[in-house]
Amino acid sequence: MVDFLIGLFLASLIAALFTTRLYGLLFWYSMNSLMLGLLALGIGINIDDKAMLLTGVVTILIKAIGIPYVLKNLSHKFNFARQIVSGIKMQYSIMLVPIILVFTFYLSVPIVDMIHTNANYVAISISSLFLSLLLIMEHSDVVPKIIGFLALENSLFLLGTTATNGMPMLVELGIFFDLLMAIVVINLLFHKEEMKI
Amino acid sequence: MMLTLLLTPALFMFLVSFLRNENAKYLLALSSFVILFPIVDLFTFVKPYAILGTYLVADKLDTYVLLVSSIVGIGVTLALFTMDKHVTVSPKAYRKFYRFFAIFWIGLIFSILSNHMGIYWIGLELATLSTVYMIKTNHTPAAHKEAWNYMIVGAIAVSLILFGIILMYASAKPILGEEAMQFDLLLKHAKEIPSPFLFEIGFAIATIGMFVKMGFFPMNLWLANIERSSFYPVAALFSGILESAVVIGFFRFSQIAMEVNYNNLFIFVFIYTILTIFIVSFLIYRAKDFMRLFSLSGIEHMALIVLFWVSGSPFAALLHFGAHAFLKPALFLSTGVLETNGKFKMAGALRGYTGKRGKIFLFLVSLFLLAIISLPPSPMFFSELYGFGAMINTAKGSDHMLGMIGAVLFLLILLSIIFYRFVSIYQSMRYEGEARSRKVYAGELFALILFAVSLVALMLPNTLHYLKTVI
Amino acid sequence: MILYLLTVVLLILIAPILLSYIKATKMVLFFKRPISLMQGYRNFTKLLKKETIISEETSAITRYAPFLVLSPLLVTVFFLPPIVGGAYYVSFVDAFTITGLISLSTFFLMILGLDSASAFGGMGSSRESFISALVEPAMVLTIFSVSLMADNLGVGQAGVNLVAHFPKEHMASYLFAGISFFILLIAENGRIPVDNTETHLELTMVHEAMILDLTGVYLAIIETASSIKFVIFASLFASLFMPFGLEFIAPIAFVIFVLKLFIIATAVAIFEVNTAKLRIFKIPNLLGLAIVFAFLSLITFYVLGA
Repeated sequence: MVDFLIGLFLASLIAALFTTRLYGLLFWYSMNSLMLGLLALGIGINIDDKAMLLTGVVTILIKAIGIPYVLKNLSHKFNFARQIVSGIKMQYSIMLVPIILVFTFYLSVPIVDMIHTNANYVAISISSLFLSLLLIMEHSDVVPKIIGFLALENSLFLLGTTATNGMPMLVELGIFFDLLMAIVVINLLFHKEEMKI
Repeated sequence: MMLTLLLTPALFMFLVSFLRNENAKYLLALSSFVILFPIVDLFTFVKPYAILGTYLVADKLDTYVLLVSSIVGIGVTLALFTMDKHVTVSPKAYRKFYRFFAIFWIGLIFSILSNHMGIYWIGLELATLSTVYMIKTNHTPAAHKEAWNYMIVGAIAVSLILFGIILMYASAKPILGEEAMQFDLLLKHAKEIPSPFLFEIGFAIATIGMFVKMGFFPMNLWLANIERSSFYPVAALFSGILESAVVIGFFRFSQIAMEVNYNNLFIFVFIYTILTIFIVSFLIYRAKDFMRLFSLSGIEHMALIVLFWVSGSPFAALLHFGAHAFLKPALFLSTGVLETNGKFKMAGALRGYTGKRGKIFLFLVSLFLLAIISLPPSPMFFSELYGFGAMINTAKGSDHMLGMIGAVLFLLILLSIIFYRFVSIYQSMRYEGEARSRKVYAGELFALILFAVSLVALMLPNTLHYLKTVI
Repeated sequence: MILYLLTVVLLILIAPILLSYIKATKMVLFFKRPISLMQGYRNFTKLLKKETIISEETSAITRYAPFLVLSPLLVTVFFLPPIVGGAYYVSFVDAFTITGLISLSTFFLMILGLDSASAFGGMGSSRESFISALVEPAMVLTIFSVSLMADNLGVGQAGVNLVAHFPKEHMASYLFAGISFFILLIAENGRIPVDNTETHLELTMVHEAMILDLTGVYLAIIETASSIKFVIFASLFASLFMPFGLEFIAPIAFVIFVLKLFIIATAVAIFEVNTAKLRIFKIPNLLGLAIVFAFLSLITFYVLGA
C-alpha cells in the first residue's frame, strides 16, 4: 500500500512536470501533497505514532487544500497567464527525466544499503527532489517556480517521513510554520506588484 | 526566562511597527538597541547555559556570534535613522522594513542559539524569508526581480540544508533515537554513528546549501546582484548577520563531520573554497561599483573563514569572522553616503568631504578599506597569519606538505590580486575624478564609529583570550 | 481447450458491444439519448448488405489489405492470457510478438491508406506511423516490466502468475506500468486526446482518413479490426493490471472478466469526455509521458526492486 502511494507521489510529480496549464499544475501539486499526507497517515498507523498521524492530517489540510486554494485565488486576482510554457522542449525533458531517475536511483544505492526501514523510498525522494529542481529550472514564470519550491518541500518531507520514520514533532510543526510564512511573503510580493502597476 | 528577555525586544519592535505615528521611528530604534542587553547578560553567564531545555543552549561560540550580530544590528539601526536622506523610502515601507527586521531577529536568535538541527533550520528559514521582504522595500523593478530571485534561490539553498539535516538525522537515529538532532549529543557520539557514509552525504549536501547561501562557487554573483538592487542597510544585514547564522551552522556541522571523517571534510571544503576564491578574485578585479565590490569581497572572506575553521584553527576563523562582521557592514553603510550623488562612480568618491563630520567619515572609510585587505594593524592580518599557519600545520608530517605550501602560495597570489585592486580603487577614490560636496549625517557616522570601536575591542587581549578558549 | 475457444469467441463477440458501450456512455454523459449496445452489430450487418465499390485508381492492395489488417489481430486474440483458471493458454508469446502482430496490422492499414484514391489516405498513414512509432517502445517496455514482475516473459504465463502472486512488493513499478499502459490503450485505439473516430474533419482525423475510400464488406472488416484491437488492449489491461477472478468456476469467471472489460470501457469513456483532443504535434508529449512511465517502471523494478 505504501509502495502504491509512493508510486502515485512520483507519478503526480512527473505529471506536473509535463503539464502546460497553470490549474493543471496546481491540481497535480495538490495530488502530490495528498499522497504525501496519506503516506504519513499510513506509516503512522503502521508504527503507531501519534505525531505522524497529526503530520499527515496537517499536510492534507495545508498542502493539499490550503495552498493550492490560496494560489488559485491569487492567480484569479492578478490574472496570471494560465498557459505555462516550459523553457526546456518536451522532447528533451522526455529524455531528461529518465536520465535523472536512473542517475538518482544509482546514486542512492549505497544509501539504500544503510537504511533498513523503507529503504527504497529514500531513492524515490531523492529523485523527486531532483525532479522538483527540474520543475523550477524549466519554467521562467513565477508560479511554476513556487510550485517547484513547494514540491521540493514535499520531497524533503517524504524523505523525513520514510527515511527516519518521522522527524521530531517540533521540527515538523516548525517547517509548517515556515511554509505558511513563505506563503505570506509570496502574497506580499504579489501585492506589491499590483501596487506598482 | 532568558528566552523571554531575548525575544521581548523583537516582539515589541514587531508590534510597534504597526503604529502609524511619526515618532514610532525612535521606539523602533530603541527596541533594536535593547536587544543588546539580554545578549550581554547572556555573555556573562557560565557556559553552557540551557535557555530552553536541550533545544536552545548558550555556549561560548554562539554567544560570541550573537553578540557580534547584535552590535551589527545596532549599527544598522543607527544608519537607518538617516537612510531617507540618501534614498527615497516611504514611511510605510520603513515601518514594514522594521516589521520584517523583528521577524528576522526572532529567526536569528533561534537559529544561532539552537542546539538542535531542526530548530537551527527553522530559524534560518524564517530569517531568510523575512529578508525577502526587506529587499522589496526598495520600490524598483530590479529590486522586485531580485526579491523573487532571492526567494527562490534562497529557498532552494535552505531546502538543501534541510535535506542534509534529514540524512544526518537518519544516520544517527539508530543510536540516539529522537535526540539525534542535538549538536552536542551528535558530537559526543560522532565516532559511533553506524553509517558514516550517510552522515557524510548529508553533511556534503547541507554544506552545499550553506555555500550557495553564502555565495560560493558556482553562485558567485547572485548575492552581489541582490545587494546591488536593495537598500544598503539590507546588504549590511546580509553580510553582518545572516551570513553569521549560516556560518555558525557550518561550524557546528563541521565539528561533527571532523570527528566522523576529517580527511574527506577537509579535501571537500578545501577544493570548494579555493575554487571560490579563485573565481571571486577575478570578479573583484572587474567589479565596477561599490556594492558588488564589497559583496564579492564578503564572499572571499567567508571562504577564508570556512577554510581556516576546517584547517583546525577556530581562533583564526572566529577572529576573521568578527573582523569581517564589523568591517563589511561598515563599508556597506558607507556606500550609502559614497553613492548619494554620482551613483556607481568610484573615481573621486572619497573627495569633497568638508567639515568635521566629513573629515571623520573620510578617515573611517579609508581605515575600513585598508583594514578589509588585511593591512597589518587590522585583526584580519592576524587571523590570516594564524589561519595560514594552521593550514601548514595540518599538512605537517604528511606527504602533502609541498602541495599545501603550493596552495597557500596560490591563495596568497589571489589575495594579492584583490589587494592590488582595492589599493588602486582607494587611490582612484582619493585622487581621481572631480570633487562633489556631499553631506554626512550623524546616524551613519555613529554607526561607523561604533564599528571602529568594536574592531579595536576585538584586538584587546581579553577578547583574544576569549576567542582562544571558545573551542 | 473448450474454455480456451470459448474465451476467443467471447472476446470477438463482445468487441463491437464494447465500442458501442463507450459511445453510449459518452452520450449519457452528454445528456443525449444513448445508442443501443447492439449498434455495432447493426452497422456490421448493414455494411455487409451494402454494395462494395472499389476505386479505379487503386491497386490490388486495397482488396487484400483489409484481411491482412484483421488477421494479425485475430491471431493475437489467441495469445492473450486466460480468463478462467485451468483453461488452456499459449504461454510462450512475449511482448515483442504481441507488439509485432499489432504493428503488422497497423502496417497494412497504413499501406491501405497510401493506396487509396484520396489525398487524405496518405496524410492519415503518415500520422498513424507517427503515432505508432511512439507507441511501440512504450508498449514493449511496459509489457516487459510487468512480465518481469510476474517472473515470466510470456504474456499468457505472466497473467496467470500475477493472479497467483500479486506483486505487492513491486506496487510502485506496477502502478507506473499501469499508467503507461492506460495511455497506450487510449492512443493506440484512436480515442479522444489522440484521435477522434467520430468526426471526419480533415484537420484531425487519423484512423478515418485511411479508410475513407472503403465501402461495404471491406469497411465492415476494418471496423471489426478496430473493435478487436480495442478488446485486445482492454483484455491485456484486465489480465495484467486487474489480476483477480481466475480462481472462480467458469461462468462466474467469465462474468467477472466481462465486468472488468466494461469497467475499463467506462474509464475510457469518462476520460474521453473530460479531455479535449490534442493537436497532432502535442501527441508526442502524451506518448512521451507513457514512455517515461514505462521506463520508470522498468528501472524502479530493476534498481530499487520496488
